[in-house]
Amino acid sequence: MNHNIYFPQIAIIKRVKDEAEGIKRFTLELEDEKLRESFSHRPGQFIELTVFGVGEAPFSITSSPADKGRLEISVVNVGEVTAALHLKKEGELVGLRGPYGNGFPFDEVKEKDILFVGGGIGLAPLRPLINKMFADRGSFRKMTILYGARTPGLLCFREDLTAWAAQKDSVVLVTVDTPDERWQGNVGVVTSLLPKVEINAGITIAFVCGPPIMIHFVIQDLVKKGLAEGTIILSMERRMECGLGKCGHCSLGTVEVCTDGPVFSYGQLKALKESI
Amino acid sequence: MKVLDKKNAEKFLEALGSEHKIIVPLQSSGDLNFGDPDVHSQVLDYKGITHYSAKGFYFPESEALLTFEMPGRGEAGTIAIKDHVNDTKTVIWGIRPCDLNGLKVLDAVFLSEPIDPYYQARRRNTLLIALNCNQAGKNCFCLSLGAGPCAHEGFDLGLTDLGDEFLVKIGSEAGKKLVEEHNELFNDASSEQEEEAKVLEEKSKRSFISSLDVEKLKAKLPSAFNSPLWDEQVTKCKICGTCCFVCPTCHCFNIEDLKKSKKVTQRMRYWDTCQLSGFTQMAGHNSRPNQADRWRQKVLHKFLYLPHKYEGLMGCVGCGRCVDHCQAGIKIVDVLGRVADES
Repeated sequence: MNHNIYFPQIAIIKRVKDEAEGIKRFTLELEDEKLRESFSHRPGQFIELTVFGVGEAPFSITSSPADKGRLEISVVNVGEVTAALHLKKEGELVGLRGPYGNGFPFDEVKEKDILFVGGGIGLAPLRPLINKMFADRGSFRKMTILYGARTPGLLCFREDLTAWAAQKDSVVLVTVDTPDERWQGNVGVVTSLLPKVEINAGITIAFVCGPPIMIHFVIQDLVKKGLAEGTIILSMERRMECGLGKCGHCSLGTVEVCTDGPVFSYGQLKALKESI
Repeated sequence: MKVLDKKNAEKFLEALGSEHKIIVPLQSSGDLNFGDPDVHSQVLDYKGITHYSAKGFYFPESEALLTFEMPGRGEAGTIAIKDHVNDTKTVIWGIRPCDLNGLKVLDAVFLSEPIDPYYQARRRNTLLIALNCNQAGKNCFCLSLGAGPCAHEGFDLGLTDLGDEFLVKIGSEAGKKLVEEHNELFNDASSEQEEEAKVLEEKSKRSFISSLDVEKLKAKLPSAFNSPLWDEQVTKCKICGTCCFVCPTCHCFNIEDLKKSKKVTQRMRYWDTCQLSGFTQMAGHNSRPNQADRWRQKVLHKFLYLPHKYEGLMGCVGCGRCVDHCQAGIKIVDVLGRVADES
């Protein structure tokens, strides 16, 4: 095995699934059996994925750590690497490095009410955490999941949303900014769901992931609801290149988002300035 | 200490050249830079500093990290990946104390876990022969940063130009070996020669025009984030990134894949700079959209964030290259001086 930190391992695309409009979910399996066995990750971590001949880009791991040997990423077609990846078919090879980043707290937030607020593809890093918490249901109190997308066609992880809603003591609310003729659910940005749920500020931990503008307004509302800055947990998006804390692209004050993050509390980020 | 007659310096490098790649300062058409030995343009006792620092010999402007070779159409097999870690034995002659101190920053970044194998291989295989500065340039302020004008550590051999000869200080076991193996080219230094070097250092220290009150700046920077001074720079800055490319401590990079043929792709690493807007551009948003944000980032990264992260290590060595080569004539010492005074 090559110990060069930039060296990608070969992985096979086992499955390609249409997640939403312009979004595909890829199931990957490392080619090397030993590596496949030893690979483990925490929810909130990411990989650097190589499309050979095109380039490398970071993606949140959206599969559960319990699902050994396989990795899932959900990818929006927005750039060179993602466009090339969208053309890939089952059986083709890609490269991957990782997992990188700190991941979400888990044991530290046991015995709490858990609130998830996700926007669009921002549900991808939260999904393995939600699944891990449901798998350990007795350790957490009320689970509330608020999810929004711009249009019904952009809603991701629909089967998970249905499954989560069916769980005991859970609330799942979904909204879209712009409905189509068939949409019968909530209309409005994701913050419009907050007044519809009961939030017990003293015992709630909120996990928030989505576009910066969404994060901005969700934080405002959660703070208004009385959540302490340390109890709002965010996964930051930055232009990560190396994933190793060296290239400088995701530097945020004294931290590197790729190695010290991408998960931070709002309190931590506020102290770092220029982050929110 | 030893002395090396200037007439013997070339012979010494020639001898080292049998086992090492040699890098020397070259003066050609007015530009001073490091490069391969060339009898017509090399200046072993050069004055001033090179246009680019010596960092490119550790962390090149562009380098191939990996090569990927795909199986051909219809061919079975996986993708072959080759790495390009380069362990060529190299000697750099004439690195200045500022550049030597710049390596401390590169070391902190690239040799901290996880270790960068490309940088590590070059660092391990490169011998450094430093040359002290007997005279500060007009934009040099290394004295304020404790990074010059003379180096007392961090080199294999440290030279002081005494006119007809170099006084040679041995800085490492490898340096000692170099001298021993070519003992016939060296003489023992007299106490007068050692004394002369000390006098030259003191004289050099008095030759600085530019300076920076580092302690005052350090005290003010934590509260300077919203200073209007950053905005002022924008009106002048041409957003070219030269300040970072000539800097001996700037170490940001970009990774890009370069298609060499249908089957072969090279993963390249290039210098990048926080001064360009694309540096932080993401799909649909940019965390530093204004040049003021980027100027502030450059300054705070060097003078506040890096020292915080690496036990006080300053991200600036005061070489003054960013002033020498700024197209807009921005003087970082002036900007920082005002931050220290006004914030």
